[in-house]
Amino acid sequence: MTTESDHTPLTTDLIALDGAPTEKEPCIEFLLDLAVDAGRVTDREQALEDLLQREKDATTGVGMGIGIPHAKSAGVASPTIAFTRIDDGIDFDAMDDKPATLIFMLLVPEEGGEEHLSMLSSLSRSLMHEENRDALHEAESPERVEEIILEAIDA
Amino acid sequence: MIERTVTIVPEDGLHARPASKFVEAANEYDSEITVAPADGDPVNAASMLAVTGLGAKSGDDVALTADGPDEEEAMEAVATVLTTPESES
Repeated sequence: MTTESDHTPLTTDLIALDGAPTEKEPCIEFLLDLAVDAGRVTDREQALEDLLQREKDATTGVGMGIGIPHAKSAGVASPTIAFTRIDDGIDFDAMDDKPATLIFMLLVPEEGGEEHLSMLSSLSRSLMHEENRDALHEAESPERVEEIILEAIDA
Repeated sequence: MIERTVTIVPEDGLHARPASKFVEAANEYDSEITVAPADGDPVNAASMLAVTGLGAKSGDDVALTADGPDEEEAMEAVATVLTTPESES
């Protein structure tokens, strides 16, 4: 990867349009592995522990078919978003009991301050709009997904 | 309809466990409950996605409304979540 992409939270290698496991924890590991393979994670075990601890505090299955597992972690090298979608949906312990079909992972380094929370709220606001959720479902390439998500968190 | 403005006490803000408890409380009542940031539009307090989208932090003021048959109890319940320190809840 180039140094330039270190400044972008999301690159196409962090997007898997299919192939994710259909259970919550394996799906979280799958997304984390995208980040590991992209060179964004220095300590996989630590990052996974922080992600799962957050799920234990309260599920990140926020309803409307969205899961946003996230963590600020000493095991993370740079702010990172990983994405996958699961057309049939998976149980993400959402309060509205709806299966999650769009899963976003947000990771920031320990010294990342409140950055992950502002990414989280921008992304959530964007996903409130049905047309944005539909666009992600319909996207045919990682490039298109990248465009939609970067636009969403920039808003 | 009743309205109340509260300052968020839990250290996590309207995020993680406090957010989850807040949304759960909002879902327990028949009344429609909304929450709005100081300078923004109200959102449905029963939607975790909407509440997460607020990005409300500890110390922020939010405006609550409750409208329905059990609005008094509903308001009391959601306001209590936002004004109780995490360690005491």
